[in-house]
Amino acid sequence: MIKFSHLALALALGAIATQAQAAGDKIREITITTRPQAAQPQEFQSAQLIAQEWRKLGLDVKVDVMPWEQMADLVWYNRDKWDTTGWQMVGRPERSDPDELIFNLFHSSTAPKGYNFIGYNNPDFDKTVEAQRIETDPAKRQELIHKAQSILADDQPNMMLVHPKSTFAFDKTVWNPATVIDQGGIGIKNTWTFLSMEPLGEQKDIILNSSDNIVSINPLYVSGATDSWITELIWDRLLRIGPDGLPQPWAAENYKWVDETTVELKLRDDMKWHDGKPVTVDDVKFSFEAAMGDEAPMYKPFVGNIQAIETPGDSRIIFKLANPSAAFVTASLAKLNIIPKHIWEPILTDLAASEDNAEDFQAEMPIGSGPYKFTSWTTNEEIVLSANKEHFSPPKADRWILRIVPNTEAAIGMLRSGEINFLADFSGDPKILLDLVEQDGDLEVVSTVDMGFRYVAFNHRRPPFNDPEFRKALSSAINRDLIVGAAFRGFAVKSNSVVSPALGFWHNEAVDNFPTGTDLAKSTLEKAGYELKGKALHYPDGVKETLGQ
Amino acid sequence: MVFVLWAVATILFLMFRLMPSNPLAAYIDPTFTIEQQAILMAKFGLDKPLWEQYFIYLWNLLHGELGDSFFYRQPVGQRVLELLPNTLILTFSSLIVAYMFGIIAGAWLAWKRDTFAERVSIPMVLATRAMPEFWLGMLLLAVFSFSLGWFPAGGTRSPGSEYSGYLALYTSRDFLAHLVLPALTLAIYSQGLPLLLMRSNMLEVMHEDFVTMARIKGLSNWTVVVRHAARNALLPVMTSFAISVGYQIQGNVVVETVFSWPGLGRELVNAVSASDYPLAQGAFLMIAVVVVLMNLLADLLYGLLDPRVSHA
Repeated sequence: MIKFSHLALALALGAIATQAQAAGDKIREITITTRPQAAQPQEFQSAQLIAQEWRKLGLDVKVDVMPWEQMADLVWYNRDKWDTTGWQMVGRPERSDPDELIFNLFHSSTAPKGYNFIGYNNPDFDKTVEAQRIETDPAKRQELIHKAQSILADDQPNMMLVHPKSTFAFDKTVWNPATVIDQGGIGIKNTWTFLSMEPLGEQKDIILNSSDNIVSINPLYVSGATDSWITELIWDRLLRIGPDGLPQPWAAENYKWVDETTVELKLRDDMKWHDGKPVTVDDVKFSFEAAMGDEAPMYKPFVGNIQAIETPGDSRIIFKLANPSAAFVTASLAKLNIIPKHIWEPILTDLAASEDNAEDFQAEMPIGSGPYKFTSWTTNEEIVLSANKEHFSPPKADRWILRIVPNTEAAIGMLRSGEINFLADFSGDPKILLDLVEQDGDLEVVSTVDMGFRYVAFNHRRPPFNDPEFRKALSSAINRDLIVGAAFRGFAVKSNSVVSPALGFWHNEAVDNFPTGTDLAKSTLEKAGYELKGKALHYPDGVKETLGQ
Repeated sequence: MVFVLWAVATILFLMFRLMPSNPLAAYIDPTFTIEQQAILMAKFGLDKPLWEQYFIYLWNLLHGELGDSFFYRQPVGQRVLELLPNTLILTFSSLIVAYMFGIIAGAWLAWKRDTFAERVSIPMVLATRAMPEFWLGMLLLAVFSFSLGWFPAGGTRSPGSEYSGYLALYTSRDFLAHLVLPALTLAIYSQGLPLLLMRSNMLEVMHEDFVTMARIKGLSNWTVVVRHAARNALLPVMTSFAISVGYQIQGNVVVETVFSWPGLGRELVNAVSASDYPLAQGAFLMIAVVVVLMNLLADLLYGLLDPRVSHA
């Protein structure tokens, strides 16, 4: 009986106390999802640092560690079941045009099932990125891209962390360092390097490593990052993204915008397929039409805007677009592989009648027209390409040999012993590489600021992350220099924009200075009505916690 | 035997579908559209109810059809058969070395009972048995490959080398040089079992009447140990060899990763982490078949080596 009355008293006092302070509910424990330390040390360490800083604001933070497969399933297919998560985007040549990242990651149309998995929705932003898509005047488009970046900086839909530096190494006694090309936002592992690198001695084979297995060597299938190093070498494109990040003539001698929906190109006349047949405008037309059909779904989004392709004469190719599109040159003309009609036409006809599509097809001997020819493929062990000396831009090396090496330490050892001479895939600590260079005078290491980036995504479907002020406060609580120094060992630059500073023309420098600090974060929260009671952060007045504990 | 394989197949089917991940995760990309997702689901047959998937799976298995890998888009059977020889060669060569060494050293240690040699050797054997394969492999790599440069560090052949076929590859100097370190790592790791088994069997056999009888006959120590005792002590060791082959195949993952060896173990781990159900099922099933076959072989072998078994 006595006990009961005590309890009643406590309850009554509790009720009075709540009324007196009149604030919203206590914010539930929030989670930050990350991949494990063994797989993604930088992401894991960043998450730990961030959780620590957020706790200083009065939040209860749990770091949830899970492997990529599980994390992707949670974030992508269970869009209302997570709070915040570490995430990364990698650099690719065709991402030199900002459209793909700035549109797909944030436009409201991709929120339900596409890449806007955070559920960001800002009509003003939507309008801006739609406008840049159809603006073909570079200066005006630059203005729109800059505006989009400013809106994102204000809204902080994600918490941008860093643009990592891609670090690669090669043996400078085998390859002439002056002929290695550093591509902006990509690094020295790129097609240009593989074409121009000059052997200094007897070893004329580029031998490089990858930790991933090769899935497929198929010009109609984007099957993986490493796979695309290979397709870029075997197949030509009309244009290629140059070392400066801008498209330049390749299989097409030149290109020009006739009007805002028409592009005209002229095909080179000295190209041959690896089987000896000449490359014609019919092949080019066929290549784009193959992607427009139903058999190559991964390339379909890049050609959806094409209304018609005309080929008057032997070398002219004219693309008629449905809508003006500024990114078309980079994202489509410099992306699609030109494939031989005489080989693929019968294959696609057969596939059309079956359940399979072109992605299921693996040729025994892939035929392209590119600077390297396919020679052999040993499952999970190696790929050998040999130089196509008849190409209009022939490689200086004899062969390009990719070894599958799942063990990073072994890859470094192989680089020193000469079993490989180009370290093209390195997931370890870049400091180790630099130390190695000091020990071993034969090696050269090159680090380049990447086009890709690391960030923490906020789930806008779950309060309090729907509140821009709350997101801004959480984001400003994190000192990015700390992340660069502690998690990335200095091999990164801090970021506040999805458009990397590596893309000088498109990057908006005005958003770079994002002030941070625990006090700033606290005052932002206070101004937005969030209240610290005891040591726990509570919602603004009247706001209930709807998601429970 | 058929029942065992059916049970394995069923457990595999259920196990992979209970994993908390989605095979489509491998394809996520900013340009990945809803239509593509639906096409992939239908293609993998994941839009059908589970029981239907199960019957399709069993029906295909009965026809020797392991399905297509989600990840590689290639027939599972083809991939698994391509990698199986590499794994079998690594397994057999390392086990043969391990058992030859183990049998000889085990017999010798039994003979040297209660001597200084035994006091030194037994802890050493136990230590090598307890060493993590990963650590041992890295140690051998650092010493024999990176420092001394005697052996290549990974793969089954030199970069860009060409061979007319499997036989030409497997009999080449190049291949053997690549095989030494991974096989040695596995051999060092596996020699403990046959060695200790042989030793304890020998100790038992040495006390049996027929050995005493042989000694009374005045036979030399060598003849007693080798011709009489060792032959009898060998039987259980041979059985354990046959069984180890089966188990070793799946235990090669670590060594295959350290030495970039393109085998079934690595394939299996990748398949599991990519939620590639057909490939993981296929690889596991293949290993199950090998285990079952080796057990059968062990039974037959036992009867052959020890006539008493088949008379019983």
